Amino acid sequence: MREETVKRIYIFSPSLRIWHWVNFLSILTLFLTGLYIGNPFFIGSVGHEATYAYARNLTMDFIRLIHFSAGYVLLFSFLFRLFIAFFYKGDRLFIPKVWRANFWKGLVEMVLHYIFIKPWHRTYVRNPLARLAYLLLYLALAFMIITGFAMYGLSDPSGFWAKLFGWVVPLLGGEFMVHMWHHWFAWLIIIFAIVHVYLVIRFDVIEKEGEVSSMFNGMKNFKETPVDVEDVA
Amino acid sequence: METFWETFKRHGVNRRDFLRFATLMTGIMGLSPSMIPQVVKAMETKPRVPVLWIHGLECTCCSESFIRSATPLASDVLLSMISLEYDDTLSAAAGEDLEKHRKEIIKKYWGNYILAVEGNPPLGEDGMYCIVNGEPFLKHLKESAEGAKAVIAWGSCASWGCVQAAKPNPTTAVSIDKVIKDKPIIKVPGCPPIAEVMTGVIMHLVLFDSIPPLDSQGRPKQFYGNRIHDTCYRRAFFNAGQFVERFDDEGAKKGWCLYKVGCRGPTTYNSCGNIRWYNGLSYPIQAGHGCIGCSEENFWDNGPFYQRLTTIPVPSVEANADKVGMAVAAAAAAGAVAHGVISKIRSKPNKGGE
Repeated sequence: MREETVKRIYIFSPSLRIWHWVNFLSILTLFLTGLYIGNPFFIGSVGHEATYAYARNLTMDFIRLIHFSAGYVLLFSFLFRLFIAFFYKGDRLFIPKVWRANFWKGLVEMVLHYIFIKPWHRTYVRNPLARLAYLLLYLALAFMIITGFAMYGLSDPSGFWAKLFGWVVPLLGGEFMVHMWHHWFAWLIIIFAIVHVYLVIRFDVIEKEGEVSSMFNGMKNFKETPVDVEDVA
Repeated sequence: METFWETFKRHGVNRRDFLRFATLMTGIMGLSPSMIPQVVKAMETKPRVPVLWIHGLECTCCSESFIRSATPLASDVLLSMISLEYDDTLSAAAGEDLEKHRKEIIKKYWGNYILAVEGNPPLGEDGMYCIVNGEPFLKHLKESAEGAKAVIAWGSCASWGCVQAAKPNPTTAVSIDKVIKDKPIIKVPGCPPIAEVMTGVIMHLVLFDSIPPLDSQGRPKQFYGNRIHDTCYRRAFFNAGQFVERFDDEGAKKGWCLYKVGCRGPTTYNSCGNIRWYNGLSYPIQAGHGCIGCSEENFWDNGPFYQRLTTIPVPSVEANADKVGMAVAAAAAAGAVAHGVISKIRSKPNKGGE
């Protein structure tokens, strides 16, 4: 064992860690309420006249209210996430350095490693495959925010949200298709989350990098100096 | 040409009825009561406007709807308010004489007439899929649009393409704004559009001598500014989460929300919820059937009409997003577990570089 060589590197800023958990909660809320809105599979107002059921029970109206509120949280936390990336180097790890040959080499290496062809990989603060995945996730979140607020705002086609995001509707082939795309991307994000949780646990258990605790204390353990250490130091 | 007021007088309409009519029209056009004096003034001073009404690839349901307008009566619109110079469906004349008249009108009122287009031009085979008077409708349309002051796109055909432009669109039918680029186009979608919306749009054009305020997709805001869903009288059931599951269940009898049986109200902009049909008698949702979104682009391709979530647009996949999503998520989770087990078995100390 070479425990004496373990390096603890501070990676995740407090802002990023807070954002991560806010983001987690809002996505979970949005997904669960969104599933109900897409397919209302239970009646939450049994025994009440529709007129008086408002907000008394788990009605569609109430679930939509939660969905829209969580949508606002997602929007502003997303803006916050972009904002902090300007101020701290370690918050810019989601940028894949596609202009460097090393990035592409590393990407191939990680893929080969994950399909068990290559038994080892170089140590990274954030490996190229993960960088690409996080960028795609951020794009998916932006897509959800844009389509979500477009649908939300088009109750009033002359209003603020409709002016800001209304352009997306004809682009996706009508508002019905916006609903469908919003639904499909929700599932993509959840599938990302499943893989994300698995890989975090995997790095924690197999590579012993302290991945899970890093999102609480900001530190990760490395047995050797990561190739891309200049991105946080 | 004589003004509306002069026409009314000639027909023996008294001043009181004329003012009553002007007030009614102000409401139908979605204007506030403070606009009544302006509407009266316009009707006293504005001459009637010549209109050419041409028909392309379509089913003529727009005309069928139009002639059932009750406020104002379609006959009043056609005979007293506009000067309908050409309409191959409604006119008594036909054939070469009518076509000759159309050409004369284009020349005589160059830049002043309104072109109303029902249906759309198919572009395939040089437009041979729709022939009017021995010529492709495409040529007919371009020729008629050239001297028009403004163009009205009647119905979903002219506005979006509608049924004949649905996949796979064998005739390459396109909406008229793909062909006419240099004229203001007012889209009045619907399959068909509501009769009172059609007459309302004409009245606005004629009385104010300007096109009504349009939304980002070119539809008049006063008629297409709301979703069916946001004006629906069954909205309370949606908010309460009370839904029809099948057309023969208890919820259907109680008149609950049709969202789960595929109602397109939440994604459709039209006035069905407030103006309704047949002089305000009813509309699809009131009759117990969901909205099929006929005034929306590509509505024909967004089926099945009786499902809220459509099937995934991948060949031979007959499941909706929730089913596919659940299956893929389960597969991802199972894959993660399997991958984790294999990784653990094969794990070696991570020696970089070697």
